[in-house]
Amino acid sequence: MERRPDVRFLAPRTAAARLSRRAVLAGFGVVGLGALSACGRTTKMAASPAVDGELESKLNLYTWGDYDNPELIDAFRNQNDVLVQVDAYGSNEELIAKLATSRGTSGYDVVVPTGSNIPQMLEHKLLQELDLELIPNFTHMDPNFTHQYFDPENRYSICKAWGTTGYVYNTTKISREMTSWQDFIDAAQDEAAGTTSLLEDPWEVSAIALASLGYSLNTEDEEELEEARSIILEQVAPNTKAYIGNVATGMIQGSFTLLQAFNGDARQGMSEVADPENWKFVFPTPTANLWMDNWTIATGAPHPDAAHAFINHMISPDTAIEQLDYIGYPIGIKGLQEQAQQADLSLPELIFPTQEVLDRLEASKKTPADQIRTDIFADAQARSGA
Amino acid sequence: MRTQTTPGDSPATTGNASAERGSKADRGSRSDRFATRVFGPAAMSFPTWAYILFFFIAPVALVVFYSFGYKPDEFTAVATDQLTLERYPEAMSGAFVSTFFATLRISVLGTILCLLIALPFAYWLAIKVSPARRSLALALVMVPFWTNFLVRTLGWQIMLSPDGFLSNWMQGLGLLDAPLDILYTRTAVQIGVVYNYLPLMILPLFVAIDASGHKLREASYDLGAGKVTTFLKVTLPMALPGVVSGCLLVFIPLNGDYVTATVLGGASGSMIGQLIANQFNTAQNWALGAAMAMILILATLAVVGIGFALLWLGQRIAGRLNSVQLTDGRV
Repeated sequence: MERRPDVRFLAPRTAAARLSRRAVLAGFGVVGLGALSACGRTTKMAASPAVDGELESKLNLYTWGDYDNPELIDAFRNQNDVLVQVDAYGSNEELIAKLATSRGTSGYDVVVPTGSNIPQMLEHKLLQELDLELIPNFTHMDPNFTHQYFDPENRYSICKAWGTTGYVYNTTKISREMTSWQDFIDAAQDEAAGTTSLLEDPWEVSAIALASLGYSLNTEDEEELEEARSIILEQVAPNTKAYIGNVATGMIQGSFTLLQAFNGDARQGMSEVADPENWKFVFPTPTANLWMDNWTIATGAPHPDAAHAFINHMISPDTAIEQLDYIGYPIGIKGLQEQAQQADLSLPELIFPTQEVLDRLEASKKTPADQIRTDIFADAQARSGA
Repeated sequence: MRTQTTPGDSPATTGNASAERGSKADRGSRSDRFATRVFGPAAMSFPTWAYILFFFIAPVALVVFYSFGYKPDEFTAVATDQLTLERYPEAMSGAFVSTFFATLRISVLGTILCLLIALPFAYWLAIKVSPARRSLALALVMVPFWTNFLVRTLGWQIMLSPDGFLSNWMQGLGLLDAPLDILYTRTAVQIGVVYNYLPLMILPLFVAIDASGHKLREASYDLGAGKVTTFLKVTLPMALPGVVSGCLLVFIPLNGDYVTATVLGGASGSMIGQLIANQFNTAQNWALGAAMAMILILATLAVVGIGFALLWLGQRIAGRLNSVQLTDGRV
């Protein structure tokens, strides 16, 4: 015997008669359309509260992974009673994606983009002006690292750290002396075949081939980029095991023989591996990137006072050596190299490239040809996986 | 009935209040009518439809909508003022198709491996373990879920690395003469996904086998069937719904997984989820990423559909074989 259930759905009896499937679906439609129409395109940026001289109780820092000495952050928190929350990204694109799509509501205060990205970020109003009066330690900056092309008057940015790109290799596997990017390409096809890693960065990957060809690393010439593409795809990518951002991790795991690396990351890796004597870092010829990351404040930052105070704290000459020793990159303070010599840091030659090296470096720039570099990178990744 | 302007113009904004007042409304007829008039019938089922609407239909609709958009400039992720179908062919070009098939291989193999490991385990858990210990064993299956997915996967990265303890230990025992070389390969991803999704296979299988009941198995033994025959003809068919839901629970999320491949895969173990995540996080091209996601959803549905068709076909063939035995047998 079949019996209708007593309860089919829960609704007042008077309402039950009208509560049809169609009514519910119509309700879905109305609310759904409303939601969709609310997702239009807006380009307005939320504004930041004005600086009022009183530190807020919180600060949100969005930066590259493991890029500040945690003791300095703790000290800032203890001195000022400001809770610092740190969040990390792996590429400028990731940072820009968050700032651009949130239109000033990301909640981040201090962000640390690479200089080459700053002109476009300013064009799209992703960064707000700094008040240098709130950052008195700016006067201690080395003039070599202020007034850069991307922000000639330091209205928006202050040098956070600078460095260059090279590679690190295991001397038990590669016994010959390596000096150039051509050596890197040769070793990748020989001793380091299948155990090479490249940086997870389209500009840096194409720069390997462009440098070996003797072209400008920022070239916009399509034929030059085409030549670079065939070197990357045919000689380097098939021998590449992974594209990694954090070289130190790769060195510790022991999966790699040859790694394209930023100098400070390689130093960090060498201080953590069990056999540092078997690793060697090269500032390769003929050229490489000279990059500079910068302290900036995001548009719409909810804690502007704390943000200025934090930047001032982090560039303080009193703690510069602690920051330098932790991250392995110079932070652009006057007289830092002399201080480092006195402090007897490990592997100082990896922190401070010689003048001869500095003279041949080329700072990376954003160009319309970046799309080609992105395509080369995507094809290289597909080729490595094939 | 008099018309009356209602305070909220959409059911969504007033729904919560109605849910609270609904029980009181039954007591008095005046408030009953008031509730009906103000909140309307659709509001009564608010929790159900709001959940489906806001957590399923709206997000998927948004993804569909974005997939018809385009990327207007470097700093804008998506624009939809002109709708176009161009993102779909664009998504299918490049590495998408080959990566999809590589992913499919990982997820089909992963599902089969999970099934092969989970079936005996769930059988043991449901039938062999004494009821007193069963809840402890089940709790142990659940324990890994108390740790974050990413952290567990990172644990495998450390374990599989050439300098990791597994490698050193195997070399020490003479099982390997060179360091273990599977981190950043497809094998590592395969191991990682089987580990990560295994509990999702064990639990539904356990429930199904447990529900199939002691009595039928005893009847089967009484009728002269051996252990193997009983398993194949009684326990397994009864557990089939569990097998199906376990396979779905493992296969579908696995096909879209990108954490495991990012942590363990390197250049050669990349999965389709990474390509999609890249479009959203790095390339900032939401339109292309949405189109890729749509293709992935449809392709996954197609694979599941093919799987069901094969299952249906298999059951029909098996059913015919069985029925032949029953009618033409010793009866």
